[in-house]
Amino acid sequence: MIMESRRSFGLLLTIVATFAIAPLIAIVYYTFVHDGIFDVSQFSRMFANERLWQTLGNSLLLGVLVILGTTILALPMAFIRTKTTLQKYDWLDIVLTIPFMTPPYIGSMGWILFMQNNGFLQQLVPGTAWLSDAFFSLFGMVMVMSLHLFPFLYLMLKNTLLRINGSFLDAALIFGRSSLRNWLQVILPLLISSYVLGILLIFIKTLAEFGTPATFGSRIGFQVFTTEIHAYLSRWPVDIRMATSLSVFLLSVCLIIWYFQNLIGRKFTYSVLSGKTPAAREIKDKWFIQLGSWFYVGFVLLFAIGIPYFSIIVTSLQKVRGDGLRAGNFTLASYQAVFTSGSAGLTAFINSVVFSIFTAVITAIIGLFIALYIKKGETKKQQLLDFFSLMPNIIPGIVFVVGLIMFWNAPWLPATIYNTKAMVVVTYCVLFLPYAVQYTKSSLSQLDQSIFQSAAIFGRNSWDVYRAIIIPLLMQGILAGMMMTFIISMRELVAGLLILPPSVETGATFIYSQFEQGNVGIGMAVAVITVAMTVVFMFLLNWLQRWGGHVRA
Amino acid sequence: MKKRFKLLATASFLVALTLAGCNATKSTDSVKNDAASAKPNEVQTLTVYSAGPDGLAANIQQAFEEKTGMKVEMFQGTTGKILSRLEAEKNNPVADVVVLASIASMDGLKEANQLQSYKEAENASKMNPDWSDAEGYYYGYSASALGIAYNTKNTKDIPSEWTDLAKAQWQGKINIPDPSLSGSAVDFIYGYTEAEKSAWDTIQAWKNNGLQVNGANKEALDAVITGDKNATISGVDYMAYKAKASGEPVEIVYPKSGTVVSPRAVGIMKDAKNVEGAQAYVNFLLSDEGQKLVTEAYLLPGNHDIAVKDRAALDEIPQLNVSWKGSEAKQLDILTKFNDIFR
Repeated sequence: MIMESRRSFGLLLTIVATFAIAPLIAIVYYTFVHDGIFDVSQFSRMFANERLWQTLGNSLLLGVLVILGTTILALPMAFIRTKTTLQKYDWLDIVLTIPFMTPPYIGSMGWILFMQNNGFLQQLVPGTAWLSDAFFSLFGMVMVMSLHLFPFLYLMLKNTLLRINGSFLDAALIFGRSSLRNWLQVILPLLISSYVLGILLIFIKTLAEFGTPATFGSRIGFQVFTTEIHAYLSRWPVDIRMATSLSVFLLSVCLIIWYFQNLIGRKFTYSVLSGKTPAAREIKDKWFIQLGSWFYVGFVLLFAIGIPYFSIIVTSLQKVRGDGLRAGNFTLASYQAVFTSGSAGLTAFINSVVFSIFTAVITAIIGLFIALYIKKGETKKQQLLDFFSLMPNIIPGIVFVVGLIMFWNAPWLPATIYNTKAMVVVTYCVLFLPYAVQYTKSSLSQLDQSIFQSAAIFGRNSWDVYRAIIIPLLMQGILAGMMMTFIISMRELVAGLLILPPSVETGATFIYSQFEQGNVGIGMAVAVITVAMTVVFMFLLNWLQRWGGHVRA
Repeated sequence: MKKRFKLLATASFLVALTLAGCNATKSTDSVKNDAASAKPNEVQTLTVYSAGPDGLAANIQQAFEEKTGMKVEMFQGTTGKILSRLEAEKNNPVADVVVLASIASMDGLKEANQLQSYKEAENASKMNPDWSDAEGYYYGYSASALGIAYNTKNTKDIPSEWTDLAKAQWQGKINIPDPSLSGSAVDFIYGYTEAEKSAWDTIQAWKNNGLQVNGANKEALDAVITGDKNATISGVDYMAYKAKASGEPVEIVYPKSGTVVSPRAVGIMKDAKNVEGAQAYVNFLLSDEGQKLVTEAYLLPGNHDIAVKDRAALDEIPQLNVSWKGSEAKQLDILTKFNDIFR
C-alpha cells in the first residue's frame, strides 16, 4: 500500500524534519557555534548567571504546585462526573473546557482586574482589601494557572474512570471485600498510568506557559523560563544568544522529564480498553452527596469561568474605567469600535481566523498522511516519525519559535519566509501538528483491520481504497482535529509576538498590545468575541463527535 | 510502474498543498516587493518600525499614504521590541525607517553604524537641536515629558516632588513602567540619576515604599486609572492627557525640581531599500502637517512654533539638565543597576 513504501517515509520525514527538527538544530547550532568554531563559552555564561538557577527553581516549583492545584480541582470533578447522578449532564464537559480554551493571559488579566486594589471585588464587597495582598503572591498565580489547566487533567481522568467503570468494577464488586479496598486496590492503580501522563503534560504545559507569567508573574516578580527567553529577545538590551542558550536548557529539561515519564508509564500500563462497552448503570445518590457535588461544580465554575469572565465583560463595556462599577457607566462603544470596518481590532481578528484555517487544513493533511504511515507504530521508522511528529507537544512552543526565527534568518538560505505571513502559518503548523496527528491516529485505531483487508480484496487499487473508504471513515476524527487546531491557533500569543511581519497583527497580539499601549476596553471586546466564537466551535465539535457516534452505532 | 507513479502523484500533491498553503498567504507580499523593485516609479512600499503611540502612528501612516501614494508597512512595538527585531533581522534587514521613543537607543543605532545621515531634511533647522543629531542621523520630531500621573479620586495630597512618593502615605500605592520595556522610563532613570546626586537613594526609598515595576507605560498608567495604584512615577504625560480627555480620573504633575523630557526620534536605516520613500517619510514627520498630528496626540512637537493642544508647553515644564549624547552605554549600566535593585 502507498503509505508503507520507503519513499513516503522519506518524504514525510523530510517535511517533518525541515519544519520541526531544523529549528531545534538551529538553536543548538547558534548556541554552541560562534564564527564557525565550537564554543561553549556562551552556554557557560548562562550557568554563571545566578538568575538561571532562580528561574529554573521558579519554573520547577510552579510546575509542581500547578500539578497539585490541578489535581485538587480535577480529581474530585472526575469522580463526580462518573460516580454521581451528575454523570448524565454531558453539557458540563463543554462548560468545563471553557477555561482551557480561554487564552491564559486574558484569564489572568480578568483575575487581576477583579482582585486588585480598588478592583471589582472591593467595589462589590467593601472591606476585602486584605484578600488582595494574599492573592498577589505565588498562591494566586498557581490558582490562576490551575484553574486554566485543570480541564485537561480532568478529561483524561474522567475517560479512564469511565472505562474502569465496566467489567473491572463488576469483578471487584463480586470478588472484592469492602468498597474502600476496591477503591484502593482496583481503581487507584488503574488510574495511576493516566494520572502520571496527565500530570506530566500539565507540568510541561506549565513550563511552556507564557501568558500568565507575563501578566501575573511580572506583577509579583516571579520570572520563569518563557518570560526570561521572551525578555532576552524583546527587551533592551537584546541578547539573542542568551535566549537560545536558555531554550536549549529548557529543551533538555523537558526531554529529561519526558524520559522519566516514559519509564514510570511503562510500569503502570494496564489494558483497560476491552471491546466491551461499559453499560451505564442507574445511580442513586443520597441527597447530601448530590448537593455537595453540585456545590463543588458550582464553586469550580464560579472560579474558573465566572470571575474572570465577569471582569473581562465588564471591562469591555465600561465607559470610564476609573469610575468602576456604577450604573450609567456602561456602553457598547468598544464593540462598535471593533466592528467598524477596517478597524485594527477587526483586521487582527480576521487575520487570526485566516491563519487558523490555513493551519487547520495543512496540519490535517500532513497529519493524515503521518497517521496513515504510523498506524500502530510497530516498526522503528514508524516510531521515529511518531516521536518527531508529537515532539512539539513535549517541547515548549517558545523554544520552537526561537528556533524557527534562527533557522529562517540563516544567511545561507536562498530564500526565506521570515517576515511574511507564511512564516506565521508554518510556525502554527509546527506547533499544532501533534493535535492533527493524535486525532487522526485515534480514529484510525478504531477502524478494524478487517476493513483494510476487505478493501484490499474488493477495492480496485490502493488509491481508491484510501479515497473511497479509509478517508471518509476517518473524516470525523480529522474534522475534530481541525477544529481543535483552529481553536488553539486562534489563541496563540507568544509565536505571534515574536514572528509577525510588519503591519500584521493577530487577535491575540492585538489584545496583548492593547494592554501595553492602547485601549484596554477594545482589547477586552476582541477577547470576548474570540472566546464567544471558540465556544460556538466547541459545541460544533461536540455535536460532530456525537453525530459521528450515532452514525456508527 | 503504476504504483510508483501513484506514489509520486500523492507525494507531489502533498507538497503542492503545503506550498500552496504557504504561498497563498505569501504571494501578496512578495508581489508587492517585486513590483517595488522592478518599477521604482509606481506604488512603492515603505517599511516603518515605530514605537507607538498607537493612534498617532496610524494617523501619520494614513496621512502620509494619502499624500505620497506610497504604501507603508508598519510594525509597532515598544522601543525594546523594535531594537530586538532589528537585531534578529541583521541578516536580512527589512526596515527602511525606525521611530524610537528613546534618543539614547537611537544614538546607539547611529554609533553601531546602522543609520544613514539625511542632513537635507526639510524643516531640519526648525527642530529642537537638543533632541536631534547634529549630523542629521536622526531627528527628535516629538517628545513626551515624564511626570507623576495620579488618580484624582484616591489622591488627597497631590505630590509636588519626586521625594514625596517615598513618604509613608504612598506606601504600596506607587508604580513605575519597566525601564527594560519602556524607552521613556530608561530616559527618566538616566536623566534623574545624572542630574540628581541623591537619586539612587530616592529610588531605593521608593523601593522600600513598595514601588511596583509594572510593564509598559500604558500598563503602569492603567493601574492608576483603575485605582490599583495612586500614582505612576515617570508616567508619560501624553497618555495621561489622553486618558483625562476621555474622562478618566487622572492628572499629571511635573515636580518643581525638574523632570526629564524624553524625545522620540526618527531615523533612516543604513540598509534601507526605499531611501527616497524613507526621506519623504522623515520630511513628512518634520512638516507642519506632521507636527500638527503630533500635537493632536498630546505630544510636544519638535518644532517649537507649532502650538501644543490641551497640555503644558515645553517652557512650562521644569527640566533637569540632561545631555543625550553618548548616553546609551551609560543607560545600560543604569538599567542593570535598576534591575539589581528590583529583581
